[in-house]
Amino acid sequence: MIQWWQILLLTLYAGFQIMDELHWYSSAGSAVFSGFFTGLVMGDMATGLFIGGSMQLTILGVGTFGGASRIDANSGTLIATAFAVSSGMDPEQALAALGVPVAAILVYTDILGRMANTFWGHACDADVEKMNWGAYNVHYWMGAVSWCLSRMIPVFLALAFGQGLVDAITGALNGDLAWLGTGLTVAGGMLPAVGFAILLRYLPVKKHVAYLILGFVIAALLGTAFSSIQTIGGDVATVAGATETAINGGSFKGLSMLTVALIGFALAYIYYQQHQTGAVAAVSAGAEGDDDDEL
Amino acid sequence: MSSNVGQTTGYKLTKADLRQINIRNLVGFQAGWNYERMQHSGYLWIILPQLRKIYGDNTEALKTACRTQCSPFFNTSNFLNTIITGIDLAIEETEGTEGLETVASLKTGLMGPLASIGDSIFGSLLPTIFGALAANMAMEGNPLGIFIWIASCVVVDWFRCKQTYIAYDQGMKLVTTMSDKLNAITDAATVMGVFMVGALVSTNVGIVLTINPNIGGVPLNVQDILNNICPKLVPAALVGFVYWLLGRKGMTSTKAIFIVLVIGIVFGALNLVAKG
Repeated sequence: MIQWWQILLLTLYAGFQIMDELHWYSSAGSAVFSGFFTGLVMGDMATGLFIGGSMQLTILGVGTFGGASRIDANSGTLIATAFAVSSGMDPEQALAALGVPVAAILVYTDILGRMANTFWGHACDADVEKMNWGAYNVHYWMGAVSWCLSRMIPVFLALAFGQGLVDAITGALNGDLAWLGTGLTVAGGMLPAVGFAILLRYLPVKKHVAYLILGFVIAALLGTAFSSIQTIGGDVATVAGATETAINGGSFKGLSMLTVALIGFALAYIYYQQHQTGAVAAVSAGAEGDDDDEL
Repeated sequence: MSSNVGQTTGYKLTKADLRQINIRNLVGFQAGWNYERMQHSGYLWIILPQLRKIYGDNTEALKTACRTQCSPFFNTSNFLNTIITGIDLAIEETEGTEGLETVASLKTGLMGPLASIGDSIFGSLLPTIFGALAANMAMEGNPLGIFIWIASCVVVDWFRCKQTYIAYDQGMKLVTTMSDKLNAITDAATVMGVFMVGALVSTNVGIVLTINPNIGGVPLNVQDILNNICPKLVPAALVGFVYWLLGRKGMTSTKAIFIVLVIGIVFGALNLVAKG
C-alpha cells in the first residue's frame, strides 16, 4: 500500500519537476532522477533507479524542440516505480505495462496546461495596457499553476486510486497472463533502442558514421569481455567456496561507461582541434586556388 | 525627463540589475509559456523591473516598451535567451523607445538561430551524454551518475548567468564574434554524441535471440553464430530498424515507442527473443 505521506511527497515532486525542467534545470526534471526520488520515497532505491534509468534511455533523443509536447517520461517513471514497489511488480514489467502508457497519456494534460496558459497570456496583455504590474505578476505566475497542476492532478489520482487496478494487473501477469509478462520483460529491454534511434535522427549520422561504428565496437567488445570476466570470477568464487580454498584476486566489475565516455570526449577534442586547423587550411587552399585561376 | 532621447530617465543598469534578471530567468522565465505566443509574457516578466527604471513608472514610454516586448510571439532556447535580453537592454537604455524597432527585429532575428544552437547543445547533447551516464549507473543500482549530471547542470546554469553580463557589455558586436566558435564546438559535440550512441546501443539494448531451429536434425544456436560475427548485432539491428521506422511518413516518437512495445511483447511471448 502507498502511504498518504508518500502520495503527498510524490505529488509535490510531480509539480516541482516540471518547474525544474522549465527553469533552473538541475536534472531533477529527468526520468532517472524521478526514479531515484520515487525509489527513495517508496523505500526501494534500486527499483527506482532501474526504472528511471531504462526510461531515461527510452526518451534519450526526445527533446522539447520548438515547444512541442512530448511523452511525459518523468510522471511515467514515478507511477511505474511507486507501483512496482507497492505491488511487488517486476521493474521491467512495470516500465512497459505502466510507465510507458502513463507517460503517453500525460501528454494530453501537458497540452491542456499549455492551452490554459493562453488565457493568462491575454490577461498579461491587458495588464500591460493598464500598467498594473501587481496584476501582471499574479497573472504571469498563474501560468506556473497550470504547469504544476497538469502533472500533480493525474499523478495524485493515479497514486490514490490506482492500487486496486495495479494489483489486479500484477496478479494477472503472474497467473493466467504469464506469457504477456514475459513479453513485457522483453519489451522493457528493447525500449532503449527507440531512444537511440530518435537521437540518431537528430544527429548528423552520415557525416560522423565512423564515430558511431567506433563507439559501438569498442563498447560491444569491452562489454562482452568484462561480463565474461565477471562470469568467470563468479564461477571461480563458487568453485573456491565449494573446496574451501581461499583465492586472492581483485573484485570483478562490469564495464564503466564513464571511461567509454572519456574515449568519446578525447575523439571529440581531437576533432575540434583538427576542425579548427582544417578551417584555416581550407581558407589558404582557397586563396591558392584563386591564384591558379588568375594564372 | 521627456526631453531625454527616447523618453528614458537616463538610468544605467548596474550589476545588481543584471543579477535580478538572472534570478528571474532561472526561477520563472517559462512559467507563462502558452501555445499562442509561447515565451512572450516571460520575456517581459524577467526585465520588467529594469524597464520600469529605464522609462520611469506611469509613463507612456513604459507602456509602449512593455507592449512591444509582450505582444509579439517569442520563443527561443531557454538556455540562451538572456543573450538577447542583454543586447536588448544595452540598446534600450541608450536609445529608449527609439530603439524598440531595432529590439523587435533583434528578437525575431536571433530567436531562431539561438533556439537551434541551444536545443542541440543544451537540450539534446548534454542530456544525452550525462543522462546516459546517469541511466547506466542507475540501472546497476548506483545513483552517483545523477549527481555528476547535477554538477554539470550547475556549470550550465553558471554559464547562463554569465552570458547576460557578456551580452549586455558587448551589445550588437557579440552576434558576429559568437558564431564561428560556436559552430566548431557544436560540431565536436555531435562527434561525442554519435560516439556515445554507438556505445549505448551495444550496452543498453538488452535482447538476445532464442530461436534454435533444427536444420537437418542439427540444432542451430543462432545467437552463438551471431556472437562470432560481432557481439551485440541484434541490438544494432533493432536500432537500425527503429531508425528506418522513424524516417517513414506520419511516424512520431510516441508511435515508435508503442510499435516496439508490441513487437517486444509478441516476440517475447512466442519465445523468439529473450532479455539478455
